[in-house]
Amino acid sequence: MLFAKKKKIAPTAGYEEKDSDYVLEVRDLVVHYELENETVKAVNQISFQLKKGETLGLVGETGAGKTSTALAILNLVPDPPGVIKNGEILVNGKDVRSMSPMELEKVRGKDISIIFQDPMTSLNPVMTVGEQIAESIFLHEDVTRAESFEKAREMLEMVGIPGARADEYPHQFSGGMKQRVVIAIALACNPRCLLADEPTTALDVTIQAQVLDMMNDLKMRLGTSLVMITHDLGVIASICDTVAVMYAGQIVEYGTLEDVFNQPMHPYTEGLFNSLPSMNHKEGKLKPIPGYMPDPTKLPEGCAFAPRCRYATKDCSKPLKPRYVSDTHYVLCDAYDNPQFHIELQRGGEACE
Amino acid sequence: MIRYIIKRLLYLIPVILCVSFLIFALMDLTPGTVVDSMIPSDATPEMVEEIYAQYDLDKPMVYRYAKYMLQFVQGDLGKSDISGENILRMYLDRLPNTLLLAVSSLFVAAVLAIPMGIRAARHAGTLTDNLTTVATLVGMSMPSFWLGLLLLFLFSFKLRLFPASGNDGFLSYILPAVCNGLTMMAGTTRQTRAAMLEILHADFLRTARSKGVPEKRVIWKHALGNAMIPILTTLGSNLSSSLAGSVVIESVFAWPGVGRLTAEAIMSRDVKLACGAVIMTTILYVIMQLIVDLAYAFVDPRIKARYIRTRKTRRKAA
Repeated sequence: MLFAKKKKIAPTAGYEEKDSDYVLEVRDLVVHYELENETVKAVNQISFQLKKGETLGLVGETGAGKTSTALAILNLVPDPPGVIKNGEILVNGKDVRSMSPMELEKVRGKDISIIFQDPMTSLNPVMTVGEQIAESIFLHEDVTRAESFEKAREMLEMVGIPGARADEYPHQFSGGMKQRVVIAIALACNPRCLLADEPTTALDVTIQAQVLDMMNDLKMRLGTSLVMITHDLGVIASICDTVAVMYAGQIVEYGTLEDVFNQPMHPYTEGLFNSLPSMNHKEGKLKPIPGYMPDPTKLPEGCAFAPRCRYATKDCSKPLKPRYVSDTHYVLCDAYDNPQFHIELQRGGEACE
Repeated sequence: MIRYIIKRLLYLIPVILCVSFLIFALMDLTPGTVVDSMIPSDATPEMVEEIYAQYDLDKPMVYRYAKYMLQFVQGDLGKSDISGENILRMYLDRLPNTLLLAVSSLFVAAVLAIPMGIRAARHAGTLTDNLTTVATLVGMSMPSFWLGLLLLFLFSFKLRLFPASGNDGFLSYILPAVCNGLTMMAGTTRQTRAAMLEILHADFLRTARSKGVPEKRVIWKHALGNAMIPILTTLGSNLSSSLAGSVVIESVFAWPGVGRLTAEAIMSRDVKLACGAVIMTTILYVIMQLIVDLAYAFVDPRIKARYIRTRKTRRKAA
């Protein structure tokens, strides 16, 4: 144990080992939106890795920087005003930030692809869905146009839409069907890694379950790694292997699904669980986290969650140290400097079962 | 779709009635008649009356209008009061010149305006954009006769590159087409810029980029495909008005088109010719607008669905 190097899966800054068995590695990513008179600090020093076939859940409330992270991975942050200030994003060991536009075009859709949040606006209204799926196949694979259309039909069948509907336009599909089309586009070239940015948020609950089941199934069959971005802990519980909890552009807790759900460590994670309705405590009121996310143009010193944290002390405004509570479980909270400290989770854990 | 086209063509009837009545009434209200120049200065009142009667000028305007329209519905536009030539023939002789000029200036406008508008939209707020805005503003506010004279002065008189007037050969098309095209271009550029600005932030462009679609294709296929409707509208209405014949440009370049034909007919009080020309132009205009509307359906499947759905629902109801 003395000589064993700790194998950390968690977001450490400045570690040395270079593992190329990761499909996706993000190191110290910083994304800012530079507006005329202020700078929105959307993503602040986040790091994570993803192995083949693994599913990472990125959970956090609106404005935590989840979508910015996803866009940065594809080097698609809208510029201006968005800038990737710092960090390395390695897709199959190559840094997307240093790629030429041509190289980027090859990686996007082929090595890594994304499912966007809103299926209503994510499809081009004047192209048939078949064309939109085939476009990606035609660009990345050595096939004729006719073959790419044939494959597009197969993709549609795979997501549960009759192949004959390939010649229809997005307005002829319902919301859930459109999301299936978006998923078919993302999976068209069997990407090694898939980013799913709240893929079920715009859908109603029954369709949500269908789409999640389908994604789980496809993931198993194709061996795709998945980054599931969501604010829904239920979705996380049903699909993810590891979980990263994001707050104000930082990962505040990171661990396996069991680590985070059975033994949440960060007060913010606790707050998230406490604000879930529970089957066992129907009589109780929900306990929302008081206050709001800090203004990303004026982040507080030290811990960004401190102003809303019921355990906060004056020490919380000091710079934070990353902390591993086990090999797989990471938390960004200095309250644990005091060995007696623990959070008083009131009703956590049920979501996992 | 066919029902829609027929319906639109039926609208032509009231439009033609209104337009022809208006031109008849307006020309009747203005002093002077076509025969004024025919009457010798020493004519007796009887002779004058006789000439007037020959042209039905002694009867009320409504009578002349009704007589004209009766002839018109039989497919006869009549003969010119002055030259005695068949009006339809006169019009059709001039029409190819106007059509060619309209289409070539549309070409000039589209080829320049769409790339310029896209460029301005993609670099909104930068120097390129501001320069484009200034250029289009100049283009829009510059009277076309002045632009025409400048072009003539530079390219015909100074550089002697193109003929100054008339229609002989390819070279003589260039100056009028460029002049008309530049005037059209200004508005089209602005329209393209505005339409593209709106589309450039659309989510589906992000989807396209995330698939690895090259930027060129993102702009020219995905974005422009969705910005085409307002651009088509502008180009279409520009084309329609040049089909009516631009009197100003045809006069500056002495271009034998239908615009000048109409203008000359009005000057010389040739009511039948003026009315015939205006009716023909109206028909062309309406057909042009119909083509533009049908073009929308090809650009946007949602509009096409609307035309077709009417038929489907009707079948369902039956």
